[in-house]
Amino acid sequence: MNTRSIRFRLTVWYAGLLAGMLVLFGASVYLGLSHYLEWTLKETLSQQAKQIGESWLGEVGVSGESYVAEEINEHFSPKVNGRFVRITRGDGSVMYLSDEPESKRFDPSRVPTLNAQTDRESLREEHLTADSELMIFAMPFTAKDNGRYVIEVGASNQEIERVLHGLLFAIAIGLPVVVAMAIAGGYLLMRRALRPVDEITQSAERITSRNLGERLPVAETGDEIERLSVGLNRMIARLDESFQHVNRFSADASHELRTPLTILRGELEAAAQQGQITPELRETLGSALEETERLSRIVESLMAISRLDAGEARVELAHFDLAELTSGTTEQMRLLAEDKDIALRCESEQQVRVEGDRARLKQVIVNLVDNAIKYTPAGGLVGVKVSASNGRAVIEVNDNGVGIPPEALPHIFERFYRVDKARSRQMGGAGLGLSIIKAIVTAHGGQVKVESVEGKGSRFLVELPVAGKTSE
Amino acid sequence: MRLLLIEDEEKVSRFIVKGLAAERFAVDVAADGDRGLELAQTYSYDLIILDLMLPGLSGTEVLRLVRGQNEHVPVLVLTARDAINDKVEHFEIGADDYLTKPFAFAELLVRVKALLRRGAVSRANTLRVADLEIDRLTQQVRRGGQRIDLTGKEYALLEYLMTNAGRVLSRTMIIEHVWDQSFDGATNIVDVYVRHLRNKIDEPFERKLIRTVRGVGYAIGEEAL
Repeated sequence: MNTRSIRFRLTVWYAGLLAGMLVLFGASVYLGLSHYLEWTLKETLSQQAKQIGESWLGEVGVSGESYVAEEINEHFSPKVNGRFVRITRGDGSVMYLSDEPESKRFDPSRVPTLNAQTDRESLREEHLTADSELMIFAMPFTAKDNGRYVIEVGASNQEIERVLHGLLFAIAIGLPVVVAMAIAGGYLLMRRALRPVDEITQSAERITSRNLGERLPVAETGDEIERLSVGLNRMIARLDESFQHVNRFSADASHELRTPLTILRGELEAAAQQGQITPELRETLGSALEETERLSRIVESLMAISRLDAGEARVELAHFDLAELTSGTTEQMRLLAEDKDIALRCESEQQVRVEGDRARLKQVIVNLVDNAIKYTPAGGLVGVKVSASNGRAVIEVNDNGVGIPPEALPHIFERFYRVDKARSRQMGGAGLGLSIIKAIVTAHGGQVKVESVEGKGSRFLVELPVAGKTSE
Repeated sequence: MRLLLIEDEEKVSRFIVKGLAAERFAVDVAADGDRGLELAQTYSYDLIILDLMLPGLSGTEVLRLVRGQNEHVPVLVLTARDAINDKVEHFEIGADDYLTKPFAFAELLVRVKALLRRGAVSRANTLRVADLEIDRLTQQVRRGGQRIDLTGKEYALLEYLMTNAGRVLSRTMIIEHVWDQSFDGATNIVDVYVRHLRNKIDEPFERKLIRTVRGVGYAIGEEAL
């Protein structure tokens, strides 16, 4: 999983936000509920204390203390309800104390006594044992006969604890489940939302300078993705236009150069044919003619490259054996190698069928082998090999010549690029040979690769798609 | 021999006319398509050299109209465009040959002569330049009666030079004739082969027959041009 993808990051972000918000929400529910429960218990306790005072203890002088105790037992049945009730006289003696509840949660007799002289209502918690806590509301009361009492009503807050524990448990289980569901759902939703982006990416990867006429798919959803693909398409259209502009320019320029070159050449030849010129002038005219020819060659090459770039190259498509073409061509160039005392070896045992323009691909082989011979010193070795693997036909031309410096390697297929300016000009090149090779190979749906170690030699690989077996 | 040149670039037609006149051709020149068509329909020419990019009637139209009337006159098309589609299209309309600008005059001349003698060529079996002799049937080469062994390509090169003896052949022409276009531009293969050929047929003899014409190409002949 790509942890830097928008999908992943967005999912993590909102899952984190959701978890944080749920924790905050849970905490506030927990605190609110615990406050509410405590408040409710306190209200109940204080009401019960007031009821004890007003209903029965006020008349204690008339009805007697045992009557009060009976009424309390009858109305509140502290034994059953787990209530703690204690009435203390003004002198500190206990008038009434509830029995131990059936649940045995606390022992009423062990609840510490309060200062009987208090004149304020109070709420306190008593820890009797480790797991038992009592909340006790105490209220001073003056009976009608002016006797002073303190009424205490208490209850175990274990109920509150249980409810709160239950809530905590529900939150602890529920929160991860909800967050996990949100992550899964969100991830799927993001995937759906971002699928058009993936499609746009894949289409965009396919578009190169050679198929700028193609466009990205536009889903007419009216959303940001549609705007993105429309925007990208406009950009591709502008690129297409400027590419065509450049191509047209170089085609037009080389075209326009042809007529003056024709005239120049014709006039120079006519002048050189005249009998009465001096040898010096003949030499000068010859030199001018050589340069005219070189100029013509550059114009030809530029024209060829711009036509190849414009996709006009594969006009004479044929199925043929690349191995046979390569070995035949290499054989024709053997004398060039022998002339420089270079060993030229060609290995191509099995047939490698390709579909393409035979003359153009032959030009590729001629250029590569010629380059290898040019840049390999006497006594060197030039090897040519044709093979097929993984649906690719490969022509390999290697030599143990001067090689290419690493800083020049990325540029050697650029037009007019020369590795060693003085040297290659002396060899008559214009820096267009490799550009032509690349343009031809690209027009055939293949690619050219080069590996080289300066001083050790170079290895050029031309990869072409193998022709389908059925069409052989 | 009377030729018609339909070419709007004055300087181009001037050197073509000059060169052809030196070869004893009579050349009429038309500077636009309409005038060219008028001339072609009025007179009977042995050959028409037609530029494609013309003011007025285009070269393609002129070719079509000329062919509609006269099926036999050879037409050599000159053009600054060399897209293969163009070439095919014009051969279909009836061009007999096709030359892309810029060209060497020698190339034009060779093509003109080839078109003119087409049909009635007596291809002699034996070609002779001075004491050098080749037999086209057996592909044997002798100089001064002495047999010389040549490789296939060396023989093809020598035969091409000798069928055009006394004429300068450009490297491009030699490459297209002896090898194929794929070798053009990239290699010095012609120079290497000419050197090897010289080693065999000129080196052992006092009189050198193969000459280098700087900036143009090679020629074989008894005398300097």
